Amino acid sequence: MKLVIDESRCKGCNLCVLVCPYTIFQEGTKPNRRGIVVPVLDRPERCTNCRLQALYGRTLCGVCQMICPDQAIHWKEEEPYEAHRVEVEY
Amino acid sequence: MTSARDWLRTDRLPHIYCTGCGNGTVINCTLAAISGMGWERDETVFVSGIGCSSRAPGYIQTDSLHTTHGRALAFATGVKLAKPDLNVVVFTGDGDLAAIGGNHFIHACRRNVDMTVVCMNNQIYGMTGGQGSPTTPMGAQSTTTPYGSAEAAFDLAELAVAAGANYVARWTAYHVKELTKAIATGLQTPGLSFIEVMTQCPTNYGRRNKQRRVSDMIEHMRTHALLIEKKRRLESEGTPIPEGMFTVGELVRRARPAMGVRR
Repeated sequence: MKLVIDESRCKGCNLCVLVCPYTIFQEGTKPNRRGIVVPVLDRPERCTNCRLQALYGRTLCGVCQMICPDQAIHWKEEEPYEAHRVEVEY
Repeated sequence: MTSARDWLRTDRLPHIYCTGCGNGTVINCTLAAISGMGWERDETVFVSGIGCSSRAPGYIQTDSLHTTHGRALAFATGVKLAKPDLNVVVFTGDGDLAAIGGNHFIHACRRNVDMTVVCMNNQIYGMTGGQGSPTTPMGAQSTTTPYGSAEAAFDLAELAVAAGANYVARWTAYHVKELTKAIATGLQTPGLSFIEVMTQCPTNYGRRNKQRRVSDMIEHMRTHALLIEKKRRLESEGTPIPEGMFTVGELVRRARPAMGVRR
């Protein structure tokens, strides 16, 4: 699973920055096309819910998703990892 | 089992609430609790009055009633008594419930009609431009109280306890997990369940009360929330309770005879 902020819904209130126990959400710096400073994700793979949601079969922490007043935070299924053929040049 | 996302009307999003408004959080928590109940969309009705909070049913994919100011509970009583099989959830605000609909509120509690009332208390009339409401705390600034409110605020949860609601709880928009649990308990309880949620209104309340940023309002709610168990303990010990605190937690759970329940 992958943590995603929906930029078309986010209004930049930074409530997620306040509540995330891993400080994955960081205040953004650049305004987007709509003039809203959307928070940026700092190493989102640390999120427990991303890693263990499928294993436990339930949402583990999910406080950012619950507190987000604009329903902008959700988890997305990632495409399964595909092995790539790597040519090693000597 | 549906997820909370399935209940949202995604074509209406993003909603009209201001940046950092707590009403969206309350919608999330309510939908999470409802999706845990396993209800069908056709069997659930959302009723609301007038105000910021009462726009919430417009973002939920069920049948809803957007009624006149303060009369949400009167309409909801009618819905429940005409069709007792429907699950009725009422979204209302503090101006809607405490000011103009005060009488409907106490009588709905007295009749103990089987429904869940979620009151988003932002302590001000947010939509009309920040007028003082009955829940504006003493000393707080608003457009109609420029020298600070001189009146004591209404304690809605205690009012519901006194009027006879079956389940009464109060949480804030910061305590999302506890709030979801409280709403879920309220949905399961027969009779009127009243859940008061203190929400932040940075645009109209915070801006005039030195809490301009959303984080300031959240911090204020976090530090000024006092658990009901702790309050009772402090009272029994005789320790004075600090100024400006409000109680959170489950105030009452009882089984008075309810109206509108199929036997």
